[in-house]
Amino acid sequence: MELLALLIVLLISLGGGLLLQWWPNRRQPMATYPQRAPFLGGGWPDTHAWSRYHLRYYPMTLLLIAFEMEMMFMYPWAVVYVEQGMKAVMEMGMFLAILCVGILYGWREGVFKWQ
Amino acid sequence: MAVSWLSRLAARGPATVFPALGMQGEEAFYQLALHPEIELVDSPRHASLLLVAGGVPPELHEPLRRVHDQLPAPFTTLWYQSEPLLELQQAGVVRVDSLEALPDALVDAHRKVLRGELGVSPRLLVDEPPNPWRGLGDDGHGGEGMMGGVPYGRPMAMPPTQDLRDGLALDTLTFRLGPFFPLWPAGLEAEVILQGDIVQQFSVQSRPFPRAMSPVFFDAWEHAMSIARLERARVQYHLRALFHALHLAGLPDLAWRALRLAEACDRQTITALEKGFKDFERCLKRRGFFALHLPTCGTLNTEHAEALGGFAARAAGIEGDARRDDEGYRRLGFSAISQQAGDTQSRWRQRLAEVAQSLTLAARAQQNDAVTATTGVVETPRGVWRDERPGDASALLEKLLPGLEWGEALATIASLDVAGVSQWARP
Amino acid sequence: MILDQLIWPLLLVFATLGGGVYLLAVLDGLAARSFGLPQAQSVWLLPLSRGAWLLSQQANVTEAPDWWGWRLAPALYLTLAAIGLALVPWSRDWVATDITTSLVLWGSVEALATVVIFLQGWSANTHLALIGAYRYVALGLSYILISMFVLIGVTLPAESLALTQVVASQQELWNVLRQPLGLPLFLIVGLSITFRGPFNLADSTDLAGGTSVEVSGPQRLVWEFARSAMLVAFSGIATTAFLGGWLGPWLPGPLWVMLKMLAVLAILAWLGRWFARITPERCISLMWLALLPLSFIDLIWAGVEALL
Repeated sequence: MELLALLIVLLISLGGGLLLQWWPNRRQPMATYPQRAPFLGGGWPDTHAWSRYHLRYYPMTLLLIAFEMEMMFMYPWAVVYVEQGMKAVMEMGMFLAILCVGILYGWREGVFKWQ
Repeated sequence: MAVSWLSRLAARGPATVFPALGMQGEEAFYQLALHPEIELVDSPRHASLLLVAGGVPPELHEPLRRVHDQLPAPFTTLWYQSEPLLELQQAGVVRVDSLEALPDALVDAHRKVLRGELGVSPRLLVDEPPNPWRGLGDDGHGGEGMMGGVPYGRPMAMPPTQDLRDGLALDTLTFRLGPFFPLWPAGLEAEVILQGDIVQQFSVQSRPFPRAMSPVFFDAWEHAMSIARLERARVQYHLRALFHALHLAGLPDLAWRALRLAEACDRQTITALEKGFKDFERCLKRRGFFALHLPTCGTLNTEHAEALGGFAARAAGIEGDARRDDEGYRRLGFSAISQQAGDTQSRWRQRLAEVAQSLTLAARAQQNDAVTATTGVVETPRGVWRDERPGDASALLEKLLPGLEWGEALATIASLDVAGVSQWARP
Repeated sequence: MILDQLIWPLLLVFATLGGGVYLLAVLDGLAARSFGLPQAQSVWLLPLSRGAWLLSQQANVTEAPDWWGWRLAPALYLTLAAIGLALVPWSRDWVATDITTSLVLWGSVEALATVVIFLQGWSANTHLALIGAYRYVALGLSYILISMFVLIGVTLPAESLALTQVVASQQELWNVLRQPLGLPLFLIVGLSITFRGPFNLADSTDLAGGTSVEVSGPQRLVWEFARSAMLVAFSGIATTAFLGGWLGPWLPGPLWVMLKMLAVLAILAWLGRWFARITPERCISLMWLALLPLSFIDLIWAGVEALL
């Protein structure tokens, strides 16, 4: 029943969004090439924009993966937390402490700069 | 008909205008920015009107045609104190030459466009891809195997070069950012080479149009001028520059307030201006203009600062101010203020401090009716004018911007005033 | 029964989506007016006339876009917002989607939102849009951790990941009072997921519109609608997790939810207009060095409080 509801929501919103985008413009002609050129204030580009783009925050993404794994651990942990009591607190404390050391190390190494 | 009530509803909204500023077009721009029914947008795709304000020199007609064709249908063009392009004159474009009539003409044109009274919008450039690519290469996509060629009409960004910040060699993006880019001085055209969003190289192709200053400065160069009037003009200049920086910072209501204060500079009493400006400055600090937005990059070294002069030099610690040598100012107790770090943040702190100083000086000058004592030397807000007016400084950007992130680079350009001073005063 | 379990909640979801987007635009106009910026028309008509104008404009296309991404991105963002709103319980019995792991689904909505916003900028194959897309991902990867730690803190007293249980656990005291750090941090997450105000790294003014620089016409309408819809969905989750959802004395459940959502939307509209836009470098540093440790403290507080 829940999945049916989600499916209905997905189909209606996706369909509605696409219809709203397509319907008012169904009879418009295709834009000319000069209209489709990238807006650069009147200038023109040398190349396509797609390229091996130099991402500046790649060191941060490595740290993110570590935290994502912690998040995966925390989903079931949160459900059984109250029953487990102090043991759960200890486990989570250790995990968080280790990852905090990771953040501190990253900060010292300049991982959060826009390199 | 559904179409008609929808377009009537749309016609009641604000007129969305993309301003393509030519020479001496800023006056119209500032007037329109204050008008509530006109919305000046940053991209031609978000506009239904193209306003060409001020004369566009012939070498910039091709960029103008490119921007014109980038507006989506339905749209129309309005020309303010500017000769319309030849191809458009047959289409019956609207030319307005008086500033009072301009806002109504824009709103009127917007309504006409939405009611469909203007017919098909003309396109100026030929409908062809920038490079011939159909039928070439293995699948007709313009490519030549693994590398090279012009897939889908443009080459792919290829040569990897070492980056300025961390030395990784990835692709660079090269493009020309043109004279009608709304977020930097009008007329500035530069070839920008980016890697990621860090500027690797910035070469100025076309300098920004010289800006017209208030006639008060021209008069002060020739004969003695009331210090109160001079300082009011200075405040107006700095507040208008602040408008651009605040728009860039995503604070449209503060930008509007700065412009309102600038317009009130001629009319209101000094005490009202001082109070208004103090509230405004407090607001700037509380809303994170310095803490969140302004970067601490774009530092000028000593030789650049000396060459630039004006508030930028004083922000870098060089305490040169022609007003110190003026007897009229000395009697009012003038002392030059300066900052230490010559970066973007300190340039704005310097400018705001100078505005506050100017208002205090104007208040004192008004009580004594003080006038300037020396002629032939004027400290304009842009720099000192001794024998020559302060000139264009865009070559400085080529040395200052490489290594800066995109947002930081634009904020740095907004904090400097690289356009030279025009030989004609503002009308 | 199917009426009760399926039809009414779905109708509520879509009605709230549409009405919420309109009311958010009105609240935004009121916030602008309160800051002194004059509006072109009355705040009630302005969103409607802008929407009508966008419908009449031609939808732009770039030279060599990724056609699937270009056409789908706005509608996909809208779908994610609708799915998020479908998780909100409107009363004890009315939930469109009552799964036992609804917070995990909300987490995946947040993660996919980053993908969709990136897709909007990348598909255009244009320089300014591409920079906006890549710049936003830095923010997108950072806010999701804060959001998840704060929401895990909310699930600890509920002993369940289901939003219905989270509301049930707030019978005595709302989480906004029980875990005071939670809602402020979560509001910052809300501004980030819709790149609004200080976190507008995707559609910023210094990129002349960023990921939307080449978008015009109905496609732009759906994109802006989806942004507001995501904020509405976010305020629904914030209401459920922190403000007690449908709990409240005299009024019926759904009405309480809507009133609380309106309050959260008003706060977010105001916050979005208050601050200047933050630079990307400061944004990452702020999120990882200040807000993430605060969310750890919030989690520890929630844990200690749940055991007592």
